[in-house]
Amino acid sequence: MIYGDLPASWPEPVKQQVAAAASSGRIAAIRNAVAAVEALPPESRGKPFRLGIVRTFTLEAQLEALKLALAVIPSAASIALGELENIEQVLLDPASPVMAARPDAVLALWRLEDLLPDLVYAPHTLTADARAQAVSGVSERIKRLCEDYRREGPAPLFLATLPVPVQRADELSDLHQPHGWHDAVLRINQTILAQAAQPGKIYTFDFAGWATGFGRSAFDQKMDLYARQPIAAAALMSFASAIACSMRPLLVPAAKVLAVDLDNLLWGGIVGEDGIPSLKIGHDYPGNVYRRIQQALLNLKRRGVLLVLLSKNNHQDAVDAFAALPDMLLSLADFAAVRINWRPKHENLREVARELNLGLDSFVFADDQAFEREQMAFQLPAVKVLPLSEDPLQILNALAHCTNFDAHRVSAEDLARADDYAAQARRQELATTSASPERFLESLQIKAVIGRVGEATLPRAVQMLAKTNQFNVTTRRHGEAELRRMGADATNVLLTLALRDKFSDQGIVGLAIGVRGERPQELRVDSFLLSCRALGRGAEQVLWASLVAKATALGYQSLSAEYLQTGKNQQVADLFDRLGMERIASSADHTTYQMRVPGQVTSPAWVHVIDETGR
Amino acid sequence: MNNEQKLFQAVADVFQVDAAVVKESSSPDTIPKWDSLGIVHLVTELEQAFGVEFDILEIADFRNVAIIKSILAEKGVRF
Repeated sequence: MIYGDLPASWPEPVKQQVAAAASSGRIAAIRNAVAAVEALPPESRGKPFRLGIVRTFTLEAQLEALKLALAVIPSAASIALGELENIEQVLLDPASPVMAARPDAVLALWRLEDLLPDLVYAPHTLTADARAQAVSGVSERIKRLCEDYRREGPAPLFLATLPVPVQRADELSDLHQPHGWHDAVLRINQTILAQAAQPGKIYTFDFAGWATGFGRSAFDQKMDLYARQPIAAAALMSFASAIACSMRPLLVPAAKVLAVDLDNLLWGGIVGEDGIPSLKIGHDYPGNVYRRIQQALLNLKRRGVLLVLLSKNNHQDAVDAFAALPDMLLSLADFAAVRINWRPKHENLREVARELNLGLDSFVFADDQAFEREQMAFQLPAVKVLPLSEDPLQILNALAHCTNFDAHRVSAEDLARADDYAAQARRQELATTSASPERFLESLQIKAVIGRVGEATLPRAVQMLAKTNQFNVTTRRHGEAELRRMGADATNVLLTLALRDKFSDQGIVGLAIGVRGERPQELRVDSFLLSCRALGRGAEQVLWASLVAKATALGYQSLSAEYLQTGKNQQVADLFDRLGMERIASSADHTTYQMRVPGQVTSPAWVHVIDETGR
Repeated sequence: MNNEQKLFQAVADVFQVDAAVVKESSSPDTIPKWDSLGIVHLVTELEQAFGVEFDILEIADFRNVAIIKSILAEKGVRF
């Protein structure tokens, strides 16, 4: 559950109050904890998050718990609850109270008991054919709902998978007959997962997975019969935590880098003391635990998480061990950066962050030594330090289930990222051997593809807005719904920039959003950002030139832009000056700019630009 | 806190009133938030506070604090 690992920026008394309320489950304690969190300054509360819920059962008495769970992600959450049963009516009517509240996400919670009560409680009143028909009726209903919602729905919709009913008839014979309720749960859940597997607005909340994990006591038959409130009081905080975790990627940016220790984490033993032959890594106990840890790291790497090795050792000892041990899954080449030395780990990490061009809050740190964890937390509070112990099994589970890297959908860019950092190393090698910087850039054979933000590229655009901190002039974290709204207006300009060169295809690494300004014929630059992997090759000029060209084509006569300082985006403080805009007003953390269009723009000669916005 | 205070406090917490105004005669007529949803809260709160479980027919009798007190007493809670 999430209540044991609360935001580092919260004051200790609030953390204690929240943890105590969550473990007591008592109404007044939960209510007071929510109030205490809501009284925190806005920067500690996370971004505003309006959750709409449609459901087939009572939740009214349990909303405070859900609010608390969403608050600790953190988010400044509010909840609008739709009336019982009317799923489609609420979801597809923009005027229904849930949808009129302009939700940032909607959750549909249902049970087979409510959707097909006869199948669960009186299966023998139905023939096999009638049971089959009832089940395919529900599947069709879900498909139709998704189809309509994809067209009209404004925000991500999370469909709950159906838990296996707890109170049910003929448990054993149902397993041995066609189209029973066991079969119904599987079929309907398959429909839900098939919808969530398509890109776009439909997501899933694994209600079934949560219920299975919690066990039969997840549900309270008495309160289900009395008030149709099936979620048991003792299971409520866990239920709320599961919902909040399933929405986490919408609320906080995912971490990008996992920095790990070596001895007693990637292998058992200490290389400098025990010697290479005594290190434990392999297929048999206890080396198999460490091999699983390595597998967990490799899985993260394949999803686009960068791995960094921070080890206090003699460099050569560790390198020799990597080379000599036969059953290692990880090699040194899997790490985006390696620091094997005797310096304090926070100094090494700070240096790596600079080298990778990433903020410290993109880092998660894993170490089996309490001293190292505490020093890191004290020296670099922005780094997320995982609560680990010296037990390798606990370490394995903490890494394998670490929610800081959670994402709903892994984009092509994520999959390519790790290899891209390797390509970056080859680029640097070429740069040092080239005659001049221009020659080097020419020799890269850079191609930039400008595209429009559409359904296919929307997830990546949202991801970039959520994760980009440094080369980002306004740091506006628009969600899918807002982006879709902006894109629906043909007078707005939403452009993506994809980059490739002879070493790698980086995919989409740039985003520019221009919206109709307040003054007539003015396009306002809402967002302008580049991934740190795209820097140093003139990509910003290419993206800017494209934005100006589109503005001109749409008949705009001027562009306005602003720089909002965040403490992380210093490198773009003078971006618009460099791009040739005129400063209008400037304060400590806010500068506004203007320029006439068509204006002076230069696009770098070494980039071949391909315009695919017409597609 | 004795068990009577504990009971009054639970009623006060659930219906968001001051514990000082809760009496044995308190009921939906004297406490505005004491509605059907309120009873759902109250059942949960009392089960957690006293470590008891009400059976399903007892919930229907939650008409005032005195009755709830007697149900709790039947379950071995001493007042």
